[in-house]
This record gives sequence, C-alpha cells and structure tokens, in this order.
Amino acid sequence: MAVDPSLAGRVYPPQPYEVSREKIREFADAIGDADPLYRDPKAAKERGYLNVIAPPTFAMLPVLRGFDQLVAELGVTYAQVIHVNQRFVHARPIRAGDQLLTTTTLESVRSAAGNVLLGIRCEIAAESGEPVCEATATLLVRPADAPDG
Amino acid sequence: MADVGDTLAEQQYQLTRADLVRYAGASGDVNPIHWSDRVAAAAGLPGVIAHGMLTMALVGRLLTEWAGDPGALVEYRARFSHPVVVPDDDDGVTLSVAGVVTEVRDDGLVGVDLTVTVGAEKVLTQARAVVRPPVAR
Repeated sequence: MAVDPSLAGRVYPPQPYEVSREKIREFADAIGDADPLYRDPKAAKERGYLNVIAPPTFAMLPVLRGFDQLVAELGVTYAQVIHVNQRFVHARPIRAGDQLLTTTTLESVRSAAGNVLLGIRCEIAAESGEPVCEATATLLVRPADAPDG
Repeated sequence: MADVGDTLAEQQYQLTRADLVRYAGASGDVNPIHWSDRVAAAAGLPGVIAHGMLTMALVGRLLTEWAGDPGALVEYRARFSHPVVVPDDDDGVTLSVAGVVTEVRDDGLVGVDLTVTVGAEKVLTQARAVVRPPVAR
C-alpha cells in the first residue's frame, strides 16, 4: 500500500467554501427535509438566524474539499475509499453567505488487514476566524491493485 | 424539558437509486460505489450502497424535527457499520430510525442514542447526538 505513514500530522492549506442559499435548498431537497429554515430567509430571521441555515450534515460539503486534497496527495481514488465513521461538533449552524475556510489535518495513518485507515480532522471556520464546526472522520483505503471481488 | 428514557418516535425513510443520484449531485460525493454496480462489485460490495452521509442526514432529520430547530444539534456522530445496499428497483430500501434520551446534562444538553436499521441489520453503530432539548413539548 502506497500510503506513507510519515504523512501523519500533515496539515493541508485551508480550502474556501462559499455557502449559497441555492446549494442549501438543493441539499435539503436531496435529503427530503422540508424545513423552511433551510429555504426561507424570513422564517430563519424570525427564529433568530441571520440567514437561511443548512442541515447539520451539510458540513460534509466543505469537509469534502479537505478530503479531496488528501486523497489527491495520497494518489488514491474515491472508488478505493470507504467512510468508516464521522463526527461533527457544531459551534453554530452553517448559514447562507458564509465564506468558510476548512483546514484539514491527517491525524493518523495505520494499516489494518491490508488496508489503510486514515484519521482526519477538519476545522471549519468563518472568514472572521469564528469556529463553525469541527469534523473528524476515519476513512478506509483499499489497495488499488486488489483483485476484483 | 427532556428526561432520560424519552423516545424519539420511530421513523421510516425509503431510499431508491434516484435518491442516491440526487444526493451525489447535491453533496458533491460522486464516489462510483454509490451509483455503479460494476465499481461496487469490484470494491467487494454486495451492490450499490447508499452514502453513509445520506443515512446520517436522514437520522439528522429525526433529530432536528424532534428538537424543533436544526441549530439545536450540537454534536452528532456515527459509525457506518454495515453497508446500506440499494437495489435498482422502484422500492429501494427502507431505513428505520429511532432514538432514546440517555443523558440530561447539568447544562441542559441532552444525549440521544440512535438505532438505525435495515430489516434486522444495524447499519449505524455508536450513533449518538447531543442536542439542546425541545422547548414547550
């Protein structure tokens, strides 16, 4: 397996993600959630939010930008990758208009039964530096040359 | 106020291949194991599987509906313990999601344990959330 264990501890350059109302609506539609707080700025403001907010797992969109960096550097493809676990700690909901910056750290690299387990932490912050969400995940990477089946 | 032992009424969520395609587009997660039988088989999977994050999102709906506010979800975690295979037919697969309050903290935050199954199989384990409790319920 080509993943170099010495890469553990690597911090990747922050990746921008601009949150749009349309993307939040599209995401809410895709998960079948009709909550007006995801669509209607007026409804969101009445509940004390500055703009429409995103469903909690929308945080995965900026996180994927971080995963993309790491997967590219490790020279693997997503077809080799299985999502093992995921955790989010939200400081506040993501909202439309947020200019997010996601800093990804490859926290651990270890071998398990011919595969590699990657421990990843993504810190999502607003442009001001205000923390928005911390996301941690484990990805399992299968060898590229595994026989089919 | 929530009490330990309070339950979140069980919900069923149906997923078809069309839902996976829509989620792939909306999320940007275009991993082919979620839409290609060929790639899923090569990865050793029994068939095309749902995105773990789509399952987590559906469970999130139960949580945010119960809390009455999506902003009430403080912490949310799960382990994708068993793949959710989605057959290429009109019915797809049905997820059953239930929750129970297991902890009420001094600061008012509430711990919820979640059970997410397809048939008899648990598809998420260690599925847990920390939520600001619902008001006026």
